[in-house]
Amino acid sequence: MAQSDGSADFRKLGDQMYQQWEQAMTTWWDQVLESPDFLKASGENLSQMAQARKKYETAVDEGLGQLHLPTRGDLVRVARIATLLEERLLQVEDTMLAMRDQVESLERETVQARIEAAEARLELRERLAELQARLDAVGTVPAPVPAPTVSAAPPRSPAARPRAPRKPTGRSE
Amino acid sequence: MVDPQPSSLLDTLQQTADLAAWLARDPVARARTGQQPHAVIHRQNKAALRYFAPAHDRGRTPLFISMPLINTWNIFDLLPGRSVVGALVQADLPVYLLDWGRPGPEDQAVRLADLVDDLLPRAADRALRHARQHGGAQALDALGYCVGGTFLAIALARDPGPFQRMGLLAAPIDFHASGRLSTWARPETFPLDDIIDGFGNFPRALMRGSFAMLRPTGQVAKYKGLLDRGQDPAFRSLWAAMEQWNTDNVDFPGETYREYLRRCYFDNALVAGGWSLAGSPVDLGAARLPAMALAAESDHICPPAAAFGLARTWGGPVQTRLIPGGHVGVCVSPRLPRALLDWLDTPLPTGDVHDSPHLAPDPA
Repeated sequence: MAQSDGSADFRKLGDQMYQQWEQAMTTWWDQVLESPDFLKASGENLSQMAQARKKYETAVDEGLGQLHLPTRGDLVRVARIATLLEERLLQVEDTMLAMRDQVESLERETVQARIEAAEARLELRERLAELQARLDAVGTVPAPVPAPTVSAAPPRSPAARPRAPRKPTGRSE
Repeated sequence: MVDPQPSSLLDTLQQTADLAAWLARDPVARARTGQQPHAVIHRQNKAALRYFAPAHDRGRTPLFISMPLINTWNIFDLLPGRSVVGALVQADLPVYLLDWGRPGPEDQAVRLADLVDDLLPRAADRALRHARQHGGAQALDALGYCVGGTFLAIALARDPGPFQRMGLLAAPIDFHASGRLSTWARPETFPLDDIIDGFGNFPRALMRGSFAMLRPTGQVAKYKGLLDRGQDPAFRSLWAAMEQWNTDNVDFPGETYREYLRRCYFDNALVAGGWSLAGSPVDLGAARLPAMALAAESDHICPPAAAFGLARTWGGPVQTRLIPGGHVGVCVSPRLPRALLDWLDTPLPTGDVHDSPHLAPDPA
């Protein structure tokens, strides 16, 4: 919807007036807020406010103290003790977490050591098996057959034939 | 998109009345932020480590994010479609986000060393343990935003922990180049000790007021922007969510703030050196992790010069990159997740690289 010339002018005039006002006030405030006199006066004002506040707090605490009521200082001290106790608990928590980190690190190292030991045992077994296989191969080579000897005595019956002593073959069970 | 330009003066008045009625219903309080599903996997004091699971498990190195201590964490998960963590998990990146929580009066004695040498490293340790169980990750990438990034840099320079690289977003390193904040945070005029001794923690109301005074006309400008674009329901939702986040500051632990302000803003010790924290030096030059410094072009809280101080101080190789936007606006821009994913997809450098190439600005 098109603007009427009147309202557009009014708005434009308002914006211009605002900008001029803001510019002028900014310039004036810049001079005031950074002038030595203002800084000195505001500092003294702040100091007096702080001192007055302290006197007020002290007076209130004294009055409550005479009525045997807890003062603001009492409540602050109790709250401060609570925060200090919390700090102690957090330090204990820090210690326990550090201990847990160490235990977890030891567990990881132990597991790693077990894994390495198991791998070493497996390797050793494989090597022993390999050696056994080599030895078995050497043991199965047939020994040279001795030449048959001629005997004068007639063969006896099998029942009466004494058995030849069995020669050791050197094989391990 | 709804045409914001009214067609007549009557329409202008009608739209203004609609906006007024909408504001009267307190949309800021009813804005729902931080809707990305996640689980809290670790707590320490008020801090919580939040785990955002990736859409698909592709074995990507998880990202650990250190948020600022000044506002709540959900600027990184403001609304669906305006969520840094949402975009990252959609890219299958596991995210661990360290939310520092809401310190109470009992935390005024918490020191900077307690955060960078204890809380942050412990959260990183828990994140890595969780990541190992849920994907087998052996390392993490780190990202820090604003002061969360400054603390991350200090922590990783002292001990890189499980991190393999670090990114800082709008995180000041050169605090004497931090614009108006540098001018205000001077020992001669800023009563640091009186404030901490009087208030305990640095009050969130004072923090909010300080940031508002960085741009005094901003309070009017945000309503002007609402008037101009408030007819768009998506803009209204974003406006309300941003307003809720902007006003949801948290207290800054007193002793941490005392050390942070004195060493960083007063002494600029990350650049000048000479800072001993809990007995050991804070030396960014001792770091060896590859790093990236991202800065927002229009950032008046951490100007680019303050963020790019990392390139002059970090011991490892540093890349720098500018992103359009402001300190907070950059977090709701789609350019940020793209820049982060580009960085995370870059292979880690294999050797010492002492050049600090300034990458081209993110194309519009």
